[in-house]
Amino acid sequence: MKILVCMKQVPQKDAPLKLNESGAWIREDVSYEVNEPDAFALEEALRQREKHKGEVVVITSGPARAQQVLREALAKGADRAIHLEDPKFVSLDAFNTAKAFAAAIKDETFDLIFTGLQSDDYGYAQTGVILAELLGLPHATIIMQIEKTDSGIRVKRELEAGYFQFVDMPTPAVLTIQSGINKLRYATLIGIKQAKNKPLRKVTLAEVQPAIGENLQKIERLYVPEKTKKTEHIEGPPAEIAKKLVDKLRNELRVL
Amino acid sequence: MLVFRKPIEGVERPQMPADVVIVGGGPAGMACALRLAQLIDAHNAAHPDARLSKENIYVLEKAREIGQHCLSGALLDPRSMRELLPGFEKEAPLDAEVTKEAVYFFTEKSKFKLPITPPFLRDHGNYVISLNRFVKWLGSKVEETGITIFTGFAGSELLYEGDRVSGVRTDDKGIDKEGQPKSNFEPGYDLQAKVVILAEGPRGSLTKQLVSKFDLAKNANPQTYGVGIKELWEVPAGRIAAGEVIYTMGWPLTTKEYGGAWIYGSPGTGPKDNIVSLGFVTGLDYADPRLDPQRVLQQFKRHPFVAKLLEGGKMIRYGAKSMPYGGWWAIPPVAGDGWMILGDSAGFLNSARLKGIHLAIKSGMLAAETAFDALIKNDPSAATLSAFQKKVESSWIKEELWKVRNLHQGFEHGMYAGMFHTGLQMITGGRGLRNRYPAKAGYEHMRKLADLPADGGAEAHLLGPAKGDGKLTFDKLTDLYHSGTKHEEDQPSHLVIHDTDVCNTRCVKEFGSPCQNFCPANVYEMVDDASQPNGKRISLNPSNCVHCKTCDIADPYQIITWVPPEGGGGPNYDGM
Repeated sequence: MKILVCMKQVPQKDAPLKLNESGAWIREDVSYEVNEPDAFALEEALRQREKHKGEVVVITSGPARAQQVLREALAKGADRAIHLEDPKFVSLDAFNTAKAFAAAIKDETFDLIFTGLQSDDYGYAQTGVILAELLGLPHATIIMQIEKTDSGIRVKRELEAGYFQFVDMPTPAVLTIQSGINKLRYATLIGIKQAKNKPLRKVTLAEVQPAIGENLQKIERLYVPEKTKKTEHIEGPPAEIAKKLVDKLRNELRVL
Repeated sequence: MLVFRKPIEGVERPQMPADVVIVGGGPAGMACALRLAQLIDAHNAAHPDARLSKENIYVLEKAREIGQHCLSGALLDPRSMRELLPGFEKEAPLDAEVTKEAVYFFTEKSKFKLPITPPFLRDHGNYVISLNRFVKWLGSKVEETGITIFTGFAGSELLYEGDRVSGVRTDDKGIDKEGQPKSNFEPGYDLQAKVVILAEGPRGSLTKQLVSKFDLAKNANPQTYGVGIKELWEVPAGRIAAGEVIYTMGWPLTTKEYGGAWIYGSPGTGPKDNIVSLGFVTGLDYADPRLDPQRVLQQFKRHPFVAKLLEGGKMIRYGAKSMPYGGWWAIPPVAGDGWMILGDSAGFLNSARLKGIHLAIKSGMLAAETAFDALIKNDPSAATLSAFQKKVESSWIKEELWKVRNLHQGFEHGMYAGMFHTGLQMITGGRGLRNRYPAKAGYEHMRKLADLPADGGAEAHLLGPAKGDGKLTFDKLTDLYHSGTKHEEDQPSHLVIHDTDVCNTRCVKEFGSPCQNFCPANVYEMVDDASQPNGKRISLNPSNCVHCKTCDIADPYQIITWVPPEGGGGPNYDGM
């Protein structure tokens, strides 16, 4: 089984974020880490490879610092890595990121492609699904379990309110993985050492430029939630006040 | 029931051979690795047929990323860096060259500027740096040489062959709160090393094991420490110049406590602000167990001079770290059979200049030269490694520390005696009244509650937790949040209390549980428990720990041992 895992480097959870000059994104002077669901996607790929043999390839896009994500993945056991390296990749929307990935892997075929369910920073939850469309592959999202079957795979999807859905699907396929699907392993000293000699292919922006176009989504403004306080007097007889109050709580504030 | 961390027994551990293992990726460890790589590269260029490999030289760093546990003021005296990497100023992340300095004596409402800056506090030619960023950069230079830095791995035990240190065991990963292996358990590695170099920073946990096993400190003064509590602020531009350095003495401390503050100015990240590094070092030899060093910093900020500087600004980072004050006489032997000790772990810190980074780097370089000789001769015995001891003694490390060898001891009986001794030492080349002043360990100065005024007396404003107004001053938890501290929650406590009965029966009564006060991260809590004789029981929040080691140092019964938690956990001192 040959599996591609799409991974992303995101600002560390709880990092103190500050807006940049443009006011549309954060300043870069924070620590970064692997996007959490992507770490679970990698772990799942490594477990599938342990069961069914094959190869695990990891891919990311972003500036030089993003290579850390690939190094960690290689240290945990991925076989090789692809880095679309350019600071400009950070500002691509999900559609263009998927197009850039598709262009970077155009000469290869994979049995499975994993992404995390969504990224902790943009939170689009789109890149994997769009990638599936671009590659003409079936996809399933919010995956909690994967089993190989004779005709393909059987996956467990997490739905709302504690419900799950089981889906049989053919391969190749794209799956977006939910956090908690497995228990993450630790990198080992020997793994870290071996990772130094594993292949890491760099792809420049110029190589995939023809495949990507204008962003279809753009962040206009980013801001800290503004706290506002408003006082309103409701007047009238008690019964009417109660009715108006319920109406406001239900329809304006939507807390009921 | 508290379960404390200890290496798992009865598991087969992966083995890895190593030429040199450096424990700790701070300035000392990184400088050591870099110098070693330089020496090996030069050797290989000159002797292509007798090449040495850098393949099996490793740096262990417990932080998830290089530099994340590095905290200092910081001012860098560039002397050793110029020796290590001539021209380093062109590429290293230096915030500003020191352009202006002043020393103030504070009273509660006022301040006096010392008419002349004492020579040891003259900082022209030094640089204001973020030690975190500086070490990150130094680490990248090490990685370029091909030496492997294992981040997220702590040294948890030393390995011995007889009396020879033969390696380092790394931390076990994936142990649950009860001390049982989880499904993703990974046993620590046994790194079998020819040379082990300890560069763990102040109160290193392996250094402590080593010093105790061989009673290395028997001829040295007890090491004495201070704890530096630091906040990083963003303030409106114009309040302080980039490269401006201010030291203060006096208030909020009384004449009885040792300590003082620093304020350093750096350029901001935008044109509209400046970054201010400010912190307060409190000597961990104070008398009143209720004293809280985090509160001391909060009080300090309420001084009109400081409050004005910070007004309208924003606190962006918090951290704490201990520092060894003891000076030359407190340094144990630094080399032996298979081992060397560097930097703050050894005690290479100039307490008059409040600087140790340059000494840490220099000690790393000298140890690298010695380790290189050991590799060339293939003899890491004490006979070869003791050359490091001699190199230190004939280098400017000793020259610098010798002049201030009695400084901190002079302050054991308060500020006035301290100033007298300092003055005398300055005109006698460091000697003062005698060649070697003795010292007591800091915790021995702590007095029982019964011997202290119930209302705190002159120290009342330093005792107990700070409340904080949320703008200028902060309570401990608010500060702690700004340290970026994170640990795996499901693991045994890495604060090992050897006898919790002492906490629950004796300490609570005798000293009023000072751990709650001296810990700058709210790790220690006394919770109500009717089953205990005094109605209180010790409870721990190890996940809050910022790895400052204050508890290990200041506990009056010396029953707390700080051991590294699962690698990767700890504070995140970005920009500190």
